[in-house]
Amino acid sequence: MSESSQKISRRDFFKASGLIAAGAVGGGAVLGGLRKARAAAVPVKPWDSKFSACDMCFNKCGLIARVEDGVVTKLDPNSKFLKSRGMLCARGNAGIDQVYDPDRLKYPLLRVGERGEGKWKRISWDEALDLAAQKMEAVRKDYLPCGHLFSAGTDLHSQFVGRFAEVYGSFNVTSHESLCLVSNNRAFLDTFGEVPFADVLNSKYIVMAGANRFEALVTPDSIDLMTAMRENGCKLVTLDPRYTKTAALSDEWYPVKPGTDMAFMLALAHVIIGEKLYDPQWVEEKTYGLEQLAEHVKQYTPGFAADQCGIPAEAIARIARELAEAAPAAMIYPGRRSSDYEDSTQIRRSFAIVNGLLGNWDRPGGLLAARVVGLKGVPYEAPWYDENHEDRIDADKVPMMFEHEGSFLLTRDAVLAEDPYAIRGWFIYKTNPMATVPNRKKTIEMMNKMDFVTVVDIAMSDTAWYADLVLPSQSYLERYDPCSGLQGSSACACVVKRDPVIEPLYESRSLFDVMKGIANRMELGEYFDFTIPEYREKQLRELPGAEKILDRDGVYYNPSKVYGIYDGRIYKTLSKKIELYNQRYEQMGIDPLPVYTVPTKVPANRFRLVVGRNALVTQGSTANNALLHQLLPTNTLWINPNAAKKFNITDGDLVEVSSSVGRQEIKAEVTDRIREDTVYMLSGFNTLSTRQHLAHGNGASIAEILEGGYDTVTGNAALHTTFVTVTRKVA
Amino acid sequence: MAQQLAMIIDASKCIDCKGCMIACKVANNVPEDQWRNWIKGESGMSRPGKHNGTTKFQPGACMHCDKPTCVEACPTGATYKDEMTGEVVIDESLCIGCGNCIPACPYGARFRNATKRKADKCNYCPERRAQGLLPACVDTCPTKARVFGDINDPDSEAGRLFLKNKEQLTRVAARTETKPNMFYIGDPGPRDWGGEAVTPASMIAMKEAAPFIKGIVGLSGLGVLAMLGRQLIAGSDTDHKENDDV
Repeated sequence: MSESSQKISRRDFFKASGLIAAGAVGGGAVLGGLRKARAAAVPVKPWDSKFSACDMCFNKCGLIARVEDGVVTKLDPNSKFLKSRGMLCARGNAGIDQVYDPDRLKYPLLRVGERGEGKWKRISWDEALDLAAQKMEAVRKDYLPCGHLFSAGTDLHSQFVGRFAEVYGSFNVTSHESLCLVSNNRAFLDTFGEVPFADVLNSKYIVMAGANRFEALVTPDSIDLMTAMRENGCKLVTLDPRYTKTAALSDEWYPVKPGTDMAFMLALAHVIIGEKLYDPQWVEEKTYGLEQLAEHVKQYTPGFAADQCGIPAEAIARIARELAEAAPAAMIYPGRRSSDYEDSTQIRRSFAIVNGLLGNWDRPGGLLAARVVGLKGVPYEAPWYDENHEDRIDADKVPMMFEHEGSFLLTRDAVLAEDPYAIRGWFIYKTNPMATVPNRKKTIEMMNKMDFVTVVDIAMSDTAWYADLVLPSQSYLERYDPCSGLQGSSACACVVKRDPVIEPLYESRSLFDVMKGIANRMELGEYFDFTIPEYREKQLRELPGAEKILDRDGVYYNPSKVYGIYDGRIYKTLSKKIELYNQRYEQMGIDPLPVYTVPTKVPANRFRLVVGRNALVTQGSTANNALLHQLLPTNTLWINPNAAKKFNITDGDLVEVSSSVGRQEIKAEVTDRIREDTVYMLSGFNTLSTRQHLAHGNGASIAEILEGGYDTVTGNAALHTTFVTVTRKVA
Repeated sequence: MAQQLAMIIDASKCIDCKGCMIACKVANNVPEDQWRNWIKGESGMSRPGKHNGTTKFQPGACMHCDKPTCVEACPTGATYKDEMTGEVVIDESLCIGCGNCIPACPYGARFRNATKRKADKCNYCPERRAQGLLPACVDTCPTKARVFGDINDPDSEAGRLFLKNKEQLTRVAARTETKPNMFYIGDPGPRDWGGEAVTPASMIAMKEAAPFIKGIVGLSGLGVLAMLGRQLIAGSDTDHKENDDV
């Protein structure tokens, strides 16, 4: 305090002495003299400008770091970056406080107390890597290679966790995706043969359900949506139990009853087929199963859907007609986070089917196939481990899990049950299951099952807090990253990379260096015998000149085909067409057409707890950001005024929210922006880790309260199936 | 013609993401919990069904007014209207941190910078402009709801928007007319929040003494130097008691 104010007064002093001199020269015209002084040219800041890509969420928006004396002083958008339309959001701008967070991990730490007790010993990197290698070797020896679990979040270095796991011999790898988007991906993949991108910019009519694009920012979709609406006259219809900012800016909003979106979509199909609003020739040529679909949706009249969703039947029928009128430059927006119900894959299938029926595919304003980026993989031959078990620990629990993403919830249950085998080692990079997976107590149990847990992160997340060994990783501005290919819908298909814009802080190392260090100690060094720039050269081998362009512009564009990608190409489905009716599902005993199930009724005196996003939050990684904290100091529980009245709750009251697995205290935000039967809070707050000084003991942890249901097709978490009581705390 | 730097805002494009607020804060090193800019939200009830896009989020900041009441309230001339650019400028080296200008702005655009103890507000990022960059809030805005430039220059983006939308440009009117240079295209969203400019009585008295104004200004200029010196001495004293913002 005294040091900084001293500095300021000293600077002020020099400035003032100059002015006083100017004033003296001016003589009688005192103010005139001063005015001359202040008209002096603005000093040009001596900053270096360096390209990078943001890492505050998964989008990887292009940025330019302004660096002064080795310190990043500002992050600006890269105006040449089409995917993000030359913007940087609040979180992107606040990246600076993630890098310079005083709570950042600074050196390797070894747990010396009980798990979660917060007692740590600083050790050297050599000690840390020796220990990690030794413990991983022990787990491999005692429990087979597949007895070690690896979890990695969305990060350009995460591929090295996957590579390490494979050469170590474990196929038990989980990503964050089974807490997020796998249901949606499954549904669209099983309809179109691939996961599409939305040409929002050129769309004329968008139905958005289960997505909140003006708060959960996805580039370019969020920005293109506004351009489409304000410049191109696109209509936006939003279904959401909350009056989100997306709802507020929509042309129409319906507070849909949670869990009933499928009824709405099937009713759209009912009207579209009943009134023959589709292009029969296109449907005949490109799709499979119209007849079955027509038969199937007969029962789902707008009246039926209206009873289920609480949206008037006339509105549903009108929306169906308007959507069909705008098709194929129209869409049911696919959304992203689809971890909500036990039948989420089927819910999202109903979205995909309406798009298929209307031919909103491979043409402007509809859904688009992935474009060619041209980046190549860097293959390696992993050793084979005969002694391993046959399959993943979470295998065979659900029929259509993505093998390479796994199911976190099923893995956790299997680890706890040691069924079909034991897992005793866990390596975690840049993902924070303690904050993001439902039922935090169960995740702690999972931690307790482990002989040794290693966490590599930039912050002492709750997951790190429960680990044995915590290794400080470099932030995105301090390291070399492999290239990444990005799909930007009709805006672009592009390649990005990251070079360090500042020297690594403290003793931090990149995940790649950590993996390499451990591999070298386990006779696996040959698989990491390269540098990131060398790795990038291999990735870019079929894009000559791309590296130079990346250095010049911070991004490389592949001018590949945008529309008509499927002209003369077969679809990767059994029928080789867009499958309204899924043949593979039929063979596997899964409903080939989505069958509507009435969601469990909210029990009396309880609420359905829903999750959702805000443009200032990225799950469990932003609540300790000092800049974002100033705009969003805590989380609150949204509760409708009528419900609040019933439970004698007034705005700002402290309430206890409790489910069958946990309880938390939080301030109530009484607002009509939510249905009466539903409550909502943001994730990421109230960390157990005391080394997150802005997030610890602040607000409530949603992970503590959410129960652990899952999508029965993919094993994706079902985050909207928890019922809670809300009780006012008596002061 | 002299410039008039201004902002043309399309409030209907604002998604209330707060990118502009964090960008400004970082670019200008604005202290914790103080802000040079804002987004005001509509507090209207949520209504299911068709609502014709009535909700607006309204980005704003210092409006660099043509009739800046803050300039009148400043005893030292630290705040002035730059005749070349049309900006309302604070010369920090002249500001004594008296706080008179803060209630004099009917838009609440000014505050006393907690670190510098001087008046602070949006200055359109001169350091950035000197390097050919846009003000931080404009540069970062996802939907480009904020457009900055010289509205007297028909070739600039701001000038083009200014001319094109001349008929439908609106301003957020405060109870005191200050002729702001922050223009909104069409409905600006919340309109009724602007207050009344409160100028300290002593400054009004000074204005009334018009025949002697030159002398007084001259004297006050000398006074400025004295007060500046006092502020410096006080400023380096760590237990200096800070005046509360009004």
